[in-house]
Amino acid sequence: MRRFGILLLIALLLLGCAGEKPVEEKATPEKKAENVIKIGVIGPMDTKYGTAMANAVKLAAEEINDQGGILGKKIEVVVGNTKLDQNTATSEFRRLVVDEGCKVIIGGFSSGVALSMMDTMADLASSGHKVIWLGDASSPRLTDKVAQDYEHYKYYFRPLVLNASTFPLDMVEMLDFLKSQGLNIKKVAIIRDNALWTDDVMKVFKPLLEEHGYEIVMDEKAEKGQTDFSSFLIKAQEKADVIVPILAHVRGDSLVKQWADMKIKIPIAGHDLAAIDPDFWKATDGKCFGEIYTADGGGVPSPINEKMEHFLNAYKAKFGHLPEAYSAYGCYDAVYLYKAAVEMAAKAGEKDPFDPDVLVKYLEKFDREHPFEGVRGKIAFTKNHDLVWGDGFVRNWICQWQEGKQVVLYPNYMATGKLVLPDWIEQS
Amino acid sequence: MLEILIYGIIIGSIWALVSSGFSLVFGVARILNFAHGTFFVLGAYCAILLYPYLGFFSIVPAVILIGAFGWLVYRGLISPVKGYEVMVILITLALALLVEEILLAIFKDISKSFPSLVSGLVTIAGVPVPTNRLLILGIAVVVIVCLDIFIRRTKVGKFIMATSQDMEASMLVGIDVEWVYSITMAISAMLASLAGILYAQIYAVNPATAFRVLIYAFAIVILGGLGSVRGSIVASFIIGFIQVAISMLFEPRWAEIAALATIIFILIVRPKGLFGVE
Amino acid sequence: MRWLAILSLAILAILPFFVPQSVVYLLGLTFIFVVYVISWDLIAGYAGQINLGHTVFIGIGAYTTALLQNPERLGIILPHLPIWLTIILGGLMAVAFGFAIGAICLRLKGYYLALVTAILPLICIQLLNVYSDVFGGYEGFSVGFGKALASSLIGKYYISLAFMLLCIIATVYVIKSPLGIKLKAIREDEELAEAVGIDVVKYKLMAFCLSAFFAGLAGAMMVHYRITVGPDLFDVPLMLTIILSAVIGGLGTIYGPIVGAFMIYLAKNYVFARIVQELSLNVSDEIFLYILLILIILKSPEGIFEKVRRMLA
Repeated sequence: MRRFGILLLIALLLLGCAGEKPVEEKATPEKKAENVIKIGVIGPMDTKYGTAMANAVKLAAEEINDQGGILGKKIEVVVGNTKLDQNTATSEFRRLVVDEGCKVIIGGFSSGVALSMMDTMADLASSGHKVIWLGDASSPRLTDKVAQDYEHYKYYFRPLVLNASTFPLDMVEMLDFLKSQGLNIKKVAIIRDNALWTDDVMKVFKPLLEEHGYEIVMDEKAEKGQTDFSSFLIKAQEKADVIVPILAHVRGDSLVKQWADMKIKIPIAGHDLAAIDPDFWKATDGKCFGEIYTADGGGVPSPINEKMEHFLNAYKAKFGHLPEAYSAYGCYDAVYLYKAAVEMAAKAGEKDPFDPDVLVKYLEKFDREHPFEGVRGKIAFTKNHDLVWGDGFVRNWICQWQEGKQVVLYPNYMATGKLVLPDWIEQS
Repeated sequence: MLEILIYGIIIGSIWALVSSGFSLVFGVARILNFAHGTFFVLGAYCAILLYPYLGFFSIVPAVILIGAFGWLVYRGLISPVKGYEVMVILITLALALLVEEILLAIFKDISKSFPSLVSGLVTIAGVPVPTNRLLILGIAVVVIVCLDIFIRRTKVGKFIMATSQDMEASMLVGIDVEWVYSITMAISAMLASLAGILYAQIYAVNPATAFRVLIYAFAIVILGGLGSVRGSIVASFIIGFIQVAISMLFEPRWAEIAALATIIFILIVRPKGLFGVE
Repeated sequence: MRWLAILSLAILAILPFFVPQSVVYLLGLTFIFVVYVISWDLIAGYAGQINLGHTVFIGIGAYTTALLQNPERLGIILPHLPIWLTIILGGLMAVAFGFAIGAICLRLKGYYLALVTAILPLICIQLLNVYSDVFGGYEGFSVGFGKALASSLIGKYYISLAFMLLCIIATVYVIKSPLGIKLKAIREDEELAEAVGIDVVKYKLMAFCLSAFFAGLAGAMMVHYRITVGPDLFDVPLMLTIILSAVIGGLGTIYGPIVGAFMIYLAKNYVFARIVQELSLNVSDEIFLYILLILIILKSPEGIFEKVRRMLA
């Protein structure tokens, strides 16, 4: 009995402090709100994709703060970790919006998780906690929601990555390019994440491949954390002419290592997010030599314009290395995009330019005719808040790992080198 | 078909290293160690961390370190709760998750691999096999033979055998049973960590690998009969074949389900396993 | 005793008007978690069966309602079902599984039972991944905005509070009933119970099904509380949190596990999470949970049964 009493007391005490502290906290941001604007970064912080997001946002925030902030308000960055799990992700999203009082969230990753967060966003908005979300995760279902139920989902924009339905366009172009280089490619072996976004890629990719005269002979799904690809590689070598990875959650490191160790006679060419990391060469011990990949959203560290050059240098100066993953580029752009929208709203005489409802209108003004100049090229939104794909805008380039360097092979106006294949690959 | 055979033997030899230690600990000390996969992963991470300083010799200190860790785990965590079987399961499970979270915080959710010991390709009966995989088969066979000799020929080994057969009688003849348990745990951890390093050399490890390995280890020892080291070595190769066959005929993700289903099926239908004699 | 319960209830009833929204949200989750714990305690603390796969029932309840609310994932067409109906169906589905699992596994004794049940959630998670087009794989899915328990947070809070109270009352009723008394007899001495004519297997199975029912309901409630479903509801960390709560509170004491559940869940999601944030440690708050569990097991390794016995003595 006494024991029970003590336990109850502790529980009540816990409840008490649960109740007390945030009240205090809640009061402070309101006082501080005069001169601080909070930006939330949400992503899988246990991976490079997440840390790159957080780093890039912090860098942009620092730069903007040095120049006086957004309309005089200093940016404060708060980080949330999704752990690639919808439960953690949605509660972190809630925390950033409700507890921290963020007016804008940047990030995402993993379409399935992002879809859950989107419903959380709508749920929060309906209870008065509106927030702009500049998102990652490529599934078309995210922006479809904006189209279907604009009123609830309009706060979502996707400046960080392209719609997954555009990836097949790049990948087919890549296969055509390889064919033009004398490779005999007809049969395709696909290995992809067992995740929502690759289903959406496949929906477009399949008919497109058939249209271009390719044949899918294998379509295998890989589990998150899978490291053994030998059986896939053996089968692919027997049946196919090229291996097309469509991987983001599963890292391609061990795939290429085994591909090189087993001297698989067909090339790897696909959408492997891990290959975009600048330290991929080191991580795979040089085994990625010859891997061909599309660089998501153009996020490969090659100075295509002044903004990109500045970003790469600043990132290197602050963190001691190049951006560790593709996601850094989009997140850096997103902060500046947000700033531009807020300033545009203020210029137009809006009473509260930080109000998400107001900002939606101004973010939508960055369309094909009036794009925003980012590090990856022009950023413009479609009607569904998707990125505009195309030359000059954000798009995927075809790159290859050669002797420790990432070489852009295609499009021709961007190319920094020629296709090189490892000697064990059979060329006809 | 031949490919399944060759690749099955290779992965089976890694499982043999993992499961012989797992089985040994259960046979001798009646401990069901849910943290066995943790030794596997820690061994690999340790060797990868030390590689820049020691090169391939980093395998030796890594194995020894994990052996010491196994000893500590027994002394610090398992020994105090040993009388309560379910508590042993819970505490080792908690340890496994704790280590997984710590590894995740340090190394992030990225697969890491150990550099290949040798490179090149050998063709066996028309099947090209990377040399580094064949090497693993060699190492595993040598280590398991050494283990057998150690247990049968040395004094320590005889103590272990005696304790596993009759704990009370061993105490009566003056064997320090606690010491025997600790040493068994250390050996088991060393075998697992070696397997982990070899595995990371062909494939890669990430913090979540610990649980996958644990599932296979369970499937193997239960198939082979809990506590029977020889049974589990045979079962390792059976599971290895099944795993490769399923991966080749279907997809690798079905292999894990097959392993899990094996566990449940055998526990319910024939709890002493294929070779169990108990 | 009674006044303590009434007092805490009164506090919980008025709390949402005094604490910030995020705490109200967390408390709502806690109420559902309490049901996880008392339903596990029913089988572990009263029937004395260590079921390490309790999350199977939670998850099955959760996915049942989530899929019935999104029948297009199953490839079937269903009329729109009200949420409360699918939640109850979730509970019943869990009972069906509980019956099947119990009928097979309850023959196994302590060690083997623990082992088999520990493996079951892992199989479920693997199946979720393999049939990811239906279950959403490791990413889970959202049951849909607008399918929450209530449209307002306060509404959700009170529904969840009421649900907890109903489940507690039902559990107390079961424990005080002849069934509960027979279960205790089985826990104390299975052979003796059998000797005096209690059908041990039958009563164990009944307890198993009841436990599954409450767990399934709670899992389904959780889905509609947070509007998302995912493999975390099956996973080992949740199982360990449930066990830790029940062990800290004292197994087989009804109120103990309730208090334990409040302590652990709030500690994990509030105190530990806050420590991690304040110190900007780059670790998961679960680390503290595991350390706590290890320490508690080390401190009282005699564990579950003995502890109960001593408390009852």
